[in-house]
Amino acid sequence: MQDWISLPLVGFPLIASVILLAFVSRADAKMRERLVGPVRMACLVFSLVLLMVTTGMFFQYFGDISWEGISFNSYVFYKQYSWIESLGIHWTVGLDALSFPMVWLTTFLLPVTIIATWNEKNGAMYFPILLAMGGALIGVFVALDLFMFYVFWELTLIPMFFLILVWGGADRKYASQKFFIYTFTASVVMLLGLITLYFFQDPGNPLDYAGTMTGRSFDIPSITQYAFAENSDGWYLGANIQKVLFAMLMLGFLVKLPAVPFHTWLPDAHVQAPTGGSMLLAGVMLKMGAYGMFRLPLSLFPHALEYFQLVLMTIGMISLVWGAIVCLGQTNLKKMVAYSSVSHMGVILIGIATMQPMGWAAALFMMFAHGIISPMLFAVCGAFKHHYHSMEIGAMRGMAKHSPWIATSMMFSWMASLGLPLLAGFVAELMMLIALWYFLVAEGWSVFWMVGPALVLAVTAAYYLWSMQRTIFEGGDETQPPESLHGEPVPDLASPEKLAMLILAAFTILFGVMPWIGLDMMHDWTKQIFEGLIMPILGDFNGGV
Amino acid sequence: MSNLSRVEPFSDGFVSAMCPELILFAGMLALILIPNLGKGTFRIPGTQIRLPWLLGGQRFKITSDPRLPSWLATITLTAAFLNVLYIFSQGLDRTLIVTDSGKELLLINGFSRVFELIFFGALALASLASMNRLQVHGIGSKVSESELYNNRRQADFYILMVTCALGMSVVALAQDLFVLFIGLELASFSTYVLVAFLKESKVGAESGMKYFIVGSVASGVGLYGLSMLYLWAGSLQFSVLSVAFAESGTTALPLIGIGFVLVGFGFKVSAVPFHFAAPDAYAGATSPVAGVLATASKAMGMLGLVRMLLIVAAPESSDGSAIWLVCLGAIAAITMTWGNLAALGSDNPKRMLAYSSVAHAGYMLAALTAVGAWNWDSTVSGDASAAAVAVMTALLLHLVVLVAFKLGAFLVLSILESDGGASRLSSLGGLAKREPLLAVAMFIFMISLAGVPPMAGFLSKLLVIMGIVRVAVGDMGAEIADGGMYAIGDLHWVWWLALLMVLNSAISMFYYLRVGVVMFFEEPEEGREGPLPAGWQVRTAILACVLVTLLVGVAGDSLIRLCEMAAQSLNYEW
Repeated sequence: MQDWISLPLVGFPLIASVILLAFVSRADAKMRERLVGPVRMACLVFSLVLLMVTTGMFFQYFGDISWEGISFNSYVFYKQYSWIESLGIHWTVGLDALSFPMVWLTTFLLPVTIIATWNEKNGAMYFPILLAMGGALIGVFVALDLFMFYVFWELTLIPMFFLILVWGGADRKYASQKFFIYTFTASVVMLLGLITLYFFQDPGNPLDYAGTMTGRSFDIPSITQYAFAENSDGWYLGANIQKVLFAMLMLGFLVKLPAVPFHTWLPDAHVQAPTGGSMLLAGVMLKMGAYGMFRLPLSLFPHALEYFQLVLMTIGMISLVWGAIVCLGQTNLKKMVAYSSVSHMGVILIGIATMQPMGWAAALFMMFAHGIISPMLFAVCGAFKHHYHSMEIGAMRGMAKHSPWIATSMMFSWMASLGLPLLAGFVAELMMLIALWYFLVAEGWSVFWMVGPALVLAVTAAYYLWSMQRTIFEGGDETQPPESLHGEPVPDLASPEKLAMLILAAFTILFGVMPWIGLDMMHDWTKQIFEGLIMPILGDFNGGV
Repeated sequence: MSNLSRVEPFSDGFVSAMCPELILFAGMLALILIPNLGKGTFRIPGTQIRLPWLLGGQRFKITSDPRLPSWLATITLTAAFLNVLYIFSQGLDRTLIVTDSGKELLLINGFSRVFELIFFGALALASLASMNRLQVHGIGSKVSESELYNNRRQADFYILMVTCALGMSVVALAQDLFVLFIGLELASFSTYVLVAFLKESKVGAESGMKYFIVGSVASGVGLYGLSMLYLWAGSLQFSVLSVAFAESGTTALPLIGIGFVLVGFGFKVSAVPFHFAAPDAYAGATSPVAGVLATASKAMGMLGLVRMLLIVAAPESSDGSAIWLVCLGAIAAITMTWGNLAALGSDNPKRMLAYSSVAHAGYMLAALTAVGAWNWDSTVSGDASAAAVAVMTALLLHLVVLVAFKLGAFLVLSILESDGGASRLSSLGGLAKREPLLAVAMFIFMISLAGVPPMAGFLSKLLVIMGIVRVAVGDMGAEIADGGMYAIGDLHWVWWLALLMVLNSAISMFYYLRVGVVMFFEEPEEGREGPLPAGWQVRTAILACVLVTLLVGVAGDSLIRLCEMAAQSLNYEW
């Protein structure tokens, strides 16, 4: 079958952005102003092409590929080319029901981000960097080779570093460096874990890589297959080593997710990042952490997962509760939204820690739903900042009267984020609650674990409604526009921003009303991994929902 | 691998084996002679007949051009470099140069050829770039006094570049400690003068003095150790010494002797605690010379350490080698941490690069420690010989690609120096606005030094870590497959060096990124807004460095293979 991933989805955006950047960097300031229009249009068209490719994949346009029923550890659109033969490194790409929603999400968010930040300053450089960001992110999700995965994992840092550094807020230097160093530190520890894992393969196993210096390979499918076979007789690699490797890999992913106590880079990065950077950061980049967990430690080390279940549950609960409580105290709109992301990522961790098919499906759907809702949150924050020149919650009151579009978008996205039924976020949260209940009862854990989620439901509603009350409604007709406008007329959303909001809202409703569009394949993936991996290894430990 | 052929000097096969060195020698003679060619004549005594003999007198126009020496040196070094590449493409021969009494002098094999590649490549790039750093102008009445001064010193500078290359390649080939030290001193003395070349400036004189004093003390200590080894074994031949070490290497005399010899090489690689002169030397030397110190000179020191530790006092030889294993591991750990911590606090980009070079020395010493661990520890056996080759491959690859991004970074600073100084971090300010492409190149070098994919620095660092982990894991992989149960504590302790290394990479990220932030974010210094001085030579060199950094990063397979072949030929037994 033709390779629909390597060049169309990964190579094309990266190469196109490098060419555009090289072209733009040679132009002088005046020329650059004139180039903004064509470059922006080119980037929009390119990203729409990506979206068409992934959407075509979904509708089985490129061959008779069913997204359901892909058994565990097998992949569609699978392609392998030799890359660095001497180390057993290949360019391996493929998709399954775990990675495909993330790839589609990335290609969906790229054009939306471009539209939402249509008038970003220095656009001739900005839009190609967004495109490069998209290519690197897709590379992370399609990589089926540990080396390739790590390369793209780190490659995503570079465009994001520049997005924050060049287009960010006042404190952007500090935020971009903190972001880079924080995540880099975690991922080098992960790298050492990956290398140690690599050498713990028996040379010649899982496959005989005779042409390599090491006799081992970085191939994820064959390592997973091998680990599965070994795990069936007990702990693959032995209990101690498996636990250490699990912890090393999880560290890299937990920092990226981020989970409390590794979350402190996120609010800084978000507050300083430009709107487009925030949208991609919250929408896709955080999901890299969750995706990595499913792809590597959870698939390779189910014994260790069972061992660390309590730890993960605790971290998840703390992220959920702490993130929500901190939100209450925020006066900065964007910081509040950033902490709400931490809280939602806690939902993903709890879903994983339940070790129930439904809990995992909830985590997967949360990744997807949060990937659509959070860009909208940040787009609203960006519009707020753009139009009122302030991020403070109290800066503008009575917004419903002065700028109804921003008010409506804010209200809608806030509601979506707090889990209003019929919107995408609700489905994931409900599934998580059901899975958690079932798990607590079946495993005989204390029901007091439910206090956390219950509390957070109330707190989330509180901070969102409170902030809405202070910005949208309060003040009534007498409210004056904020002083930061210096008496200029109160603006509302520009047309591209309106369009982006409408698209995001439409998809939030679509996946809230008809969640099965995405949920079916995710549920099928969890079913396959539980039937193919968890049950055979850990036994039919509590039935599961 | 072909058979080893033993060749006496100037007999059959000598010229083909020593071709790169002979090119250098010819180039050195040309550098001495050609600038002196003129209309000098010679009168046959007792007659009025004057025969032209071309030396002295009024020089020809072309030979009096001050740009000539730089071109001669660059062409010579490039020719030697291409010659080595050609030899690689033809397949390698192994040749041992022996005296008529059978003493081994020089060994030419893949291992030494790779080092020649490093030395000649780095020096060729540096001498190409120096054309813009030590600027000269054509002769004429309008040349100022200082320019004239500069013009006259051109030949000195480039002769020293070539002798430096010659000395280094002798170190790479030597099979006898005495020959090795001659090469080492030839290269060292050249670098002492090169560092102090800007002797009119305060920093130049200070750095040259410091570097010379510390360096000569280190050499002296090394020579003293050499004399002890001679006293003990009665010979300085590597083959004799390694046999002697295998028999009775644990006694005090040889251990103290080898320890002293290591001081000499420790200074060259700038390992802690012998690194104190390095930051001063780098800061005072012109940037291309500092780049040579950080790449070629360091490779030479590393080469000496490899020869002494792995060939002469190899771990399998005796139990005594265990002593250096722990000792070297500790030095590696301290060196990388110290280098990175010191770099965090330095505001001078050249000093920062010097400390980063200390940190990189630490990474390479960690790799060397891992090679030493094979066969010594019972947990590391079986697969270990292949593991040792893997680590050695990583070490060689790291030294090769270091030339690209370390020297490249110094060359960017070199352009800034011509613009009026690069001694503060703020000199880099606004580089992205002044010269976007140069700023991108510098950023690529920085993240390559930090080890971010997809740059060459990532691949080489990955290989080093992989090699160390492989040694640490040893046969455990196979035994686990047979049902063995291990804990993470059962790994050989060199695994913790790998952990320290990745954590150090994370620390180093901070100061490398800071350079990027200054270039892209801060405003240029007062009066330094415009574009930088032109000079296509140094820009060509930088472009070459960028290309190597990127190409090796994304498609380094053939270079890895080459280094692997070289690593396998390190010793006849391997």
